[in-house]
Amino acid sequence: MIAKPEKAVSKIYVVSDIGGRGDLSFNDMAFKGGEEAEEIYGVEMVELISTTEADYLPNLRTAARDSDTVLVVGVGYLLTDALLEVAQEYPDKNFAGIDTFTYWAALDAGITPPPNMMDIVYEEHKGSALVGALGALLAIHYDKPHIGGVFGIEIPVLWKFEIAYKWGAEWAVRWYESNYPSDYAAEPSTSIVNTATDKRVLYTYTGTFSDITKGYEAASVMYDEDAVAVFNIAGPLGLGINQAVDEIATAQSLTQGPPFWIGVDANQDWINPGFVISSMMKRVDFGVTRATELVRKGLFRDAIEESPTGMLLGIGTEVAGIPMEGISVSTLADLDEFIEMGVAAEERTGESVLPMTPDEIRTTAAALRAAQPDWIWTAVGELADKIRAGDPIADLDGDGELETVPAATTQEVVDSWRAIFG
Amino acid sequence: MINRIVEGLRDLARPVGQSVFAVLVGLSIGALIMIISGNNPIAAYYALFKGAFGSLSGWLQTLTFATPLMLTAITFAVGMKAGIFNIGAEGQVYVGAVGAAWVGGWIALPAGLHVAAATAFGMLFGVLWALPAALLKIWRGVHEVISTIMFNWIAFYFAMFLVGHLAGERAELTKPAMASARYAVLGESLTSVIFVVIALCVLVYILLWRTRTGYELRLAGSNPDAARYAGISVRRAILISFIVGGLAAGLAGAAQVLGGHPSWALFKGMGNVANYGFMGIGIALIGRNHPIGGIFAAIFYGGLLNGRIAMQAEAGVYSELVYVILGIIIISLAIPDLLAIVKKRFK
Repeated sequence: MIAKPEKAVSKIYVVSDIGGRGDLSFNDMAFKGGEEAEEIYGVEMVELISTTEADYLPNLRTAARDSDTVLVVGVGYLLTDALLEVAQEYPDKNFAGIDTFTYWAALDAGITPPPNMMDIVYEEHKGSALVGALGALLAIHYDKPHIGGVFGIEIPVLWKFEIAYKWGAEWAVRWYESNYPSDYAAEPSTSIVNTATDKRVLYTYTGTFSDITKGYEAASVMYDEDAVAVFNIAGPLGLGINQAVDEIATAQSLTQGPPFWIGVDANQDWINPGFVISSMMKRVDFGVTRATELVRKGLFRDAIEESPTGMLLGIGTEVAGIPMEGISVSTLADLDEFIEMGVAAEERTGESVLPMTPDEIRTTAAALRAAQPDWIWTAVGELADKIRAGDPIADLDGDGELETVPAATTQEVVDSWRAIFG
Repeated sequence: MINRIVEGLRDLARPVGQSVFAVLVGLSIGALIMIISGNNPIAAYYALFKGAFGSLSGWLQTLTFATPLMLTAITFAVGMKAGIFNIGAEGQVYVGAVGAAWVGGWIALPAGLHVAAATAFGMLFGVLWALPAALLKIWRGVHEVISTIMFNWIAFYFAMFLVGHLAGERAELTKPAMASARYAVLGESLTSVIFVVIALCVLVYILLWRTRTGYELRLAGSNPDAARYAGISVRRAILISFIVGGLAAGLAGAAQVLGGHPSWALFKGMGNVANYGFMGIGIALIGRNHPIGGIFAAIFYGGLLNGRIAMQAEAGVYSELVYVILGIIIISLAIPDLLAIVKKRFK
């Protein structure tokens, strides 16, 4: 072999979970963060895709063994056990996990949480409540009985999405009742306000983050039940939801929803402008860049010591005194960044990914938003302000006390909310 | 004596040669794809084989990947020997994993006995899932391809449902196997379950080639009319092939749970047991439907599965390529048989 000129490279490894590359959401967002870290912090990103759970350990070990490695990022809740294991095997290397809970897993196992392992967690519940409210308000506007949610594997991270989505929908119905009482009383029988509380949100756990046809099947059933919008909480399965929407659009010659769907993690509005009403953005990319920044500044382990349970990114959150958010509802302003993600996917796969030219995407997405009445956006904005303020918002569980958006992470809490919302 | 060895070697040379040839074709076409997509195949294969076989840790991880494949290859191979196209290993692995996860995670037993019992239950569950297809074949003549495909899907949803009921604190997997039900970690992700697996492969070999039952099974497969004429029950041969196949696939599922470092559990989406059944068909073909050949084929393919990680890390080649290579190998293996069929037809 020809000797290569020696140069000092610092590598970050991004190890995906089984969703893998091309989901245009969770995993792709992590790789997007890796690419940004390359530009900003001069590191080299190496991608390792996991096709099964059996790949987690060897992927992480391969990453940790590379002498140039400065940071290994495991992407996804399911990598928790493997990250905890490998972080202990390689105490000199830095590890971060998106959505992982290694701190708690270590305590459960009776071991000291490793000082080189950072969990990065998000306030998904806050963003999910906002799109839940948006969905319900659309259902009111279009006199539709349901909204829907297509979920992946039933893990606690997804419970946060599910319960808060339902909670936000309920908040919106009550908001409408108190702000437009006469309209509320006059709503037709097909309106979501006249659907039983526990039937308003249709939801399915498909048990997969990779089988796109399951997303299609689950969403088709929901649209058959006349759901106005379906929230994608299963990464690539959003493409299956999109297929279901496309079929209806073609059959009825629609150029604009309803039916709608709601994107996740990335700003997915570009995937089908006119039909993706909005996206619940979870900035996985920020998690990767932020962790890289901490490593580069030599602050990574200090940050872990400071908040051992993990780096929390959400609405109104701070890390090491610096405002650092990671959850938002997509706006037109941040669409461009994600159109580029589609362009990059086209270059990588050689397949057509963008449904139309970037300019057409912008105008179509803007027209879609403009076509919805102002009071919908006002209401969502109002909820967003309340969430940011951090005060208790509403009493939707009927216990006589106002609560903030619930972050359901245990079976008991989930069951208690499901008893109300179905 | 020497004549016998020479004869044995000559018998061996043709199938081994065919497999090696098919593997080379697969690797060559894989290289071609890399060149087309702008990668350096020499650097990629160097990284792949060095990662898989270039160090002790590489070998240990390769054997980890190979472990379930040795078994699912047996399921298909034994079926083929009995003249049956049993592609039900996939579902039997799921159900076997459920059985092992149940006994391993939920039923406290003394150390030593526990791991054995959990393993045995995994194998038993595998057999139970194999039986309906076997009985449908024997009694009603239902084609095993149809029935086993259907039972694979039933197994998928049934196992997901059962995982929900076997979950501990975490909903996405079964309650982890207790320490007393785990196989010891030998290094990397490899556990001592590998010894049980190899023992089963050897036992199946002995059954097929060193016992009367095995002889009858093979005769029923290669020439059912002659077998019937000789008073051999073809139905019995079919039943035995399904049972042995179920034992092997069930053990594969159990191995992924009880030797499934670091989670020691079955994942709800079947993520840590999925596809081994289907991959086993290809492994069996490369191993010429022989239990010992299957061991070598599984180690070869386990090496690809392991080496692809280094290939991706060092050469930037997407790891899915190894699945393409396996596909091409299988097609290459099938071509000589296909040609033989075509020749026969047009004679």
